[in-house]
Amino acid sequence: MLFAKLNPRAIALGIGTLLLTACSLGSSSGNGGASSTDVTVWTAWGGAELKAYRDVLAPFEASSGIKVHLTTNRDSNNQIANGIAAGTDLPDIAPGPTDPVQLRDWVSKGKLKTLESFLDMSAYTSGTYPALTTPPAGQTDDPYIGIIGGKHYLMMIKTQVKGLFWYNKKVFTGTAPKTFDELLAINPSQYGAQKLFCAAFESGTASGWPASDQIDNIIMRQNDATFYTNWIQGKVKFSDPQIKLGYQTFLKEVSPANVYGGANTVLSTNFGKAGDPLFKTPAGCLFLEQATFIPAFFTQDFPSLNLKAGTDFDFFAHPSMGVTADDGNVNGFYDNFSMYNDTPAARKLMQYMATAPAQQIWANDGGTLGAIKSLTYNDPVYKSAADVAGSAKNLLVTAGDFMPSDMQAAFWKSLLDVTNNPGSLDSVLAHLDAVQKAAYATS
Amino acid sequence: MVIGVDQIVIAIVAVVTIPLVLLGYIIVGEQVIERLPERLQTWIRPYFWALPAIGFAGVFMVYPLLRTVVISFRNNADDSWVGFTNYIYFFTFPDTLTSLRNSLLWLVFYTTVSVTLGVIIAILLDRVRYESLAKIAIFLPVPISAVAASIIWKFMFDYHAPGTTQTGTLNALLGTVGHDPVAWLVNSTTNNAALIFVGIWSITGFCMVILSASLKAISSEVLEAARMDGANEFQIVRLVVTPLLWPTITVVGTTMIINALKTFDIVYVLTAGAYDTDVIATQMFSQLAHAHYSRAAAVGVVLFAAIVPLLIVNIRRFQQQEEQR
Repeated sequence: MLFAKLNPRAIALGIGTLLLTACSLGSSSGNGGASSTDVTVWTAWGGAELKAYRDVLAPFEASSGIKVHLTTNRDSNNQIANGIAAGTDLPDIAPGPTDPVQLRDWVSKGKLKTLESFLDMSAYTSGTYPALTTPPAGQTDDPYIGIIGGKHYLMMIKTQVKGLFWYNKKVFTGTAPKTFDELLAINPSQYGAQKLFCAAFESGTASGWPASDQIDNIIMRQNDATFYTNWIQGKVKFSDPQIKLGYQTFLKEVSPANVYGGANTVLSTNFGKAGDPLFKTPAGCLFLEQATFIPAFFTQDFPSLNLKAGTDFDFFAHPSMGVTADDGNVNGFYDNFSMYNDTPAARKLMQYMATAPAQQIWANDGGTLGAIKSLTYNDPVYKSAADVAGSAKNLLVTAGDFMPSDMQAAFWKSLLDVTNNPGSLDSVLAHLDAVQKAAYATS
Repeated sequence: MVIGVDQIVIAIVAVVTIPLVLLGYIIVGEQVIERLPERLQTWIRPYFWALPAIGFAGVFMVYPLLRTVVISFRNNADDSWVGFTNYIYFFTFPDTLTSLRNSLLWLVFYTTVSVTLGVIIAILLDRVRYESLAKIAIFLPVPISAVAASIIWKFMFDYHAPGTTQTGTLNALLGTVGHDPVAWLVNSTTNNAALIFVGIWSITGFCMVILSASLKAISSEVLEAARMDGANEFQIVRLVVTPLLWPTITVVGTTMIINALKTFDIVYVLTAGAYDTDVIATQMFSQLAHAHYSRAAAVGVVLFAAIVPLLIVNIRRFQQQEEQR
């Protein structure tokens, strides 16, 4: 045997050396202590969003001499959860948890540092959109925007507004409807369009989310913020008459009479292609309900038209559902950062990102609203979106994102099912009640 | 995406170290065994050599399997026993029952159609001159990854509003005969059939190749003898070829049943289980994704229990074939 001729001691020594190397490498990869020169940051951003963030960081690194170690990590929440469970190193700064259960858990373990410990809170709360920093009237906590025990744990840096009605300015020349009934009363053929609405709900395994944005915007305006939050928290059944009313109103938006191509088209088309019929001749539809991000898809799908926001297309805010008390509710989402390690460098970076000059760089790069009210926008879309966000009484989060994940999946699926077969509404809602019961019991 | 230096180092260390450790185990162990009495050596050596493999199988297969069974009887936090709760959920909740029904549809149609087509094509192609060319064409979908195949078919099934240009091949064809487009993947009368069809399309070539090889093994003398006795070609296929092919058909059939029960990728890519197309494996995945570990474990155990008898049949067949040689 060949092996038998080798000196076993030499082999053992070789293996031992290798193992030692591996161990020493493993232990040296952690970040050491409270650094004032280096800070590790995780984000979920890539592409243009990541570029914009690098633009934001550049002046900070230049002036402070602090090196920012930036990692794009789309699974950051799970990895931090694992890190907390295993007691391993966490990034200094990363997005905080938006799941209330996780947020409470991490706060109770002392893993998240309060903004109060390093930020001038009066400047922060007075400068930022109130809906992102202030609990609903009469409450001290709002886990949906990171406020626990009266302390803030999520630092808001960007925001988007949902439930905007986009239109082709060359087709729809009328004035924006004030109420939902006025919206439904618009006759599309008056403007040469086939149908009132476009919609497209296909999005792979997340199919149905655009529909959930639509119904969220309805339910939050037909009811007050407390009802909406209770629904998210599983305290309101889906068979509740008000939720059923929401579904019935939603079904008007996707009825064969009102939606371009009928249910099959809505369900078979990817959300990114939803707006295409707006720009066809003749126009397939007058309006598409979608968030602030959608213009990128318009320009991408019609490069030859050279579409410009403000001149070729525009939006109006979601019309009122006729319940004046709830008209101030706006649907949106936000990007946040939390501090996981209290180091001098991490503090400085967090403080910097909360300043208007830093967020102005985000605004200049486009594609988002900052969290600070006083920013200026070159893009007319964001200029108007900032008005919508600024006038919001309550900025309410996307419902599904804050439900237990199986509830969210069933909620999204239910919207596909009722779009496909409106007659199934009652049985679909009964099924959602059953899912709700099981989902909130185990989470 | 940046890959850190330590990730590369750890990968290299793992690739180098594990074989070295095994090598060290064998060398050092052999040194010890060689010093033992002759009879003890012959007894202990096979166990010694097999131990690493058994160890790996134990740690990475047997233990997880037993643990899955245990978890399926526990609550989600894994701190108390819940009896058959998770199984009761699986066999009573409408969503999981739909997935069970769909898996049965897959089992019946995917298996029978792919195996039957495999047999017919193998027999027919055996009799033509362009056999290898035709076989290549039919085998072509097999090496395509299921995800890629599903995406190809996603385009084939594409649907656009009636009256507009249909980019989906099937609806474009329907359009040429003046029929309205069909939303294949949304319509609940067509979607399961469409998914199963994609499965059949991508596996028939595999069945054909195996069955064809077995067909080639049938001695031409047997067929000649049948012809001499006055049998026509249909009788030969029915009374001579099919019985001789039967062991192979069983093996291919059971393999296809296992495939059908394990189906995941096609459903996940094309519909993600929407519109009542969920199957057991996608159901297991979504239970896991929603952090219902014990329910997912129960689904896994049901799936495993359904597959084990088929595995046993398959292994018996292989053993019989071994003995015949």
